[in-house]
Amino acid sequence: MTLASRRAGETGSGSNAPRVDWDLTLERVRQAAEFCASSGLVRYRVEEGDLEIEVRRRAATPSAQPVAVAEPAPLAVPSPNGSATHSRPPAVVKAEFVGILRLARPAVAEGSIVSDDRELAYVESLGVRNPVRSGAAGRVVAVHVDDGEPVEFGQPLFSIDPAA
Amino acid sequence: MLRKILIANRGEIAMRVIRAAHELDIETVAIFSEADRGALHVRNADQAYCVGPGPAARSYLNIPNIISAALISGADAVHPGYGFLAENARFAEICADHGLTFIGPTPDVIAKMGDKATAKSIMHDAKVPTTPGSGIVATPRDAANAAKKIGYPVMLKATAGGGGKGMRVVRNAAELEHSFATAQAEAEANFKDGRLYMEKLIEAPRHIEVQVLGDAAGNVVHVGERDCSVQKPSHQKLIEEAPAPALDNKVRARLHEVALAAARAVKYTSAGTLEFLVTGDDVYFMEMNTRIQVEHPVSEVVYGVDLVREQIRIASGERLSFTQKDLVARGHAIECRINAEDPQNFAPAAGTLSECALPGGYGVRVDAHAFAGMQISPYYDSLLGKIIVVAETRDEAIRRMECALRETRIGGVKTTIDVCIAVLRDERFRAGGVTIDFLPALVAPSVGLPGPGS
Repeated sequence: MTLASRRAGETGSGSNAPRVDWDLTLERVRQAAEFCASSGLVRYRVEEGDLEIEVRRRAATPSAQPVAVAEPAPLAVPSPNGSATHSRPPAVVKAEFVGILRLARPAVAEGSIVSDDRELAYVESLGVRNPVRSGAAGRVVAVHVDDGEPVEFGQPLFSIDPAA
Repeated sequence: MLRKILIANRGEIAMRVIRAAHELDIETVAIFSEADRGALHVRNADQAYCVGPGPAARSYLNIPNIISAALISGADAVHPGYGFLAENARFAEICADHGLTFIGPTPDVIAKMGDKATAKSIMHDAKVPTTPGSGIVATPRDAANAAKKIGYPVMLKATAGGGGKGMRVVRNAAELEHSFATAQAEAEANFKDGRLYMEKLIEAPRHIEVQVLGDAAGNVVHVGERDCSVQKPSHQKLIEEAPAPALDNKVRARLHEVALAAARAVKYTSAGTLEFLVTGDDVYFMEMNTRIQVEHPVSEVVYGVDLVREQIRIASGERLSFTQKDLVARGHAIECRINAEDPQNFAPAAGTLSECALPGGYGVRVDAHAFAGMQISPYYDSLLGKIIVVAETRDEAIRRMECALRETRIGGVKTTIDVCIAVLRDERFRAGGVTIDFLPALVAPSVGLPGPGS
């Protein structure tokens, strides 16, 4: 996936250069990227004031990861060297969006073994499906939500034991 | 009547709206950031949804998550409070697109009044007196030509501005180029809109504003004026009062009259405020705020009306519950803002409130969200709460406020309590009619702030 984001008129330099709100910009880019992937679009462009975001995805790889930039807050405890230990607490996958949670089919349950990029569910928010991915490979030790339940930002959805 | 209101805000104003809604038997939905998990508004609303992490851009300004929270909670309306999304016309539109009633004026009016140049031209057409000024000045050369026409000193202002950002006083042609560049950069950085316009600088004016209310049936009333001349060097207000003291009654009547004309000119619905600069007998329209304001309680207590309740009623399609002749001011009210700030330079203070004892008693109202143990996060403005007093006379109100401030105990962070006491004890303030340069001079480092015991 390639991304292009710029602010119109952002040509200044030095102290006169406009300050970009990166938090907000990256959030917008991430939302655009996720929307692009979840809707099956190969190209998605949005303009908001003088912020323009264009997201493109290679059509040949429909399974392309939507989250290419601006990694959201860690979804799970990372395993930097790939060697998870038994003392590691389960990774908690949290909701990044406010909306209605829909479990992916076939639904994972306690005991399911998942890969690190398994789509576990999506949060339906304003008509957009925002995928929830496992973030870590391992065994699902808890499903904290029911299908169709409203969820808030940061709400724990799944716990995954990366050691299993 | 509306059934369930989502409050797209935090702090004392979220509490204010929750109280007004519950009194009307309307359910409430709070939103909060991860930094506000323990906040009072979260505990007092019927439901609460976390919409994002601490930084406001990702939580209190996160329109998709806020709208989604409104929809999944079954809310039928959104109250924006002040600040954050309160004067965002796009947000008001998005609410309407999702079948949510925005408790405020129409998006069109928000947009027009939010663009200062447009607002000024509408007011000019409605025969509301405005400061001599220019349209958009795109280059330093345009600005120089405009300044020559208007006459120095002039003020450069951002069309999207507010809170003193993107504003520069220019006293002569030599200063112009540098001031233009810095004002433009500041406007870009703060509002993502670097457009500037120019106005004649009214030296040492008073800041007096008029509260208006309008309903969908076209009824418009004013709820008197407020004097907000005690402002920090950043132009943020610290102490407000109603009615404005030491003001010629002819000027007062004129302010009310032009405020009504202005509100009618834009077919205003909901609560709004017209801000004026007043110098001698001259009044100049400055801007219209299309929201409930921080200092609205001083008008409420002298007129005996609940402005937030009226906002909710108006948004429900009901008519104003009173006419102009029902509205009679009684007594004098003063509000002091208690901010977690260093009183010497008004820099925001963060930390944990180790102690929080708020005042009370006859004629004392406290609109606050502070409590002992509360974490003050660096992400939001520093207002802890407001103390409002009302009394028969201004002298009594000043005395009552001083007693209330001395009762107030806030531990763990510096606050504006002492600087408020210093203002109340100042002879110029007691005489009434101070101008906006009063507080900056009082707190100037060379003068030094008198301690509460002095």
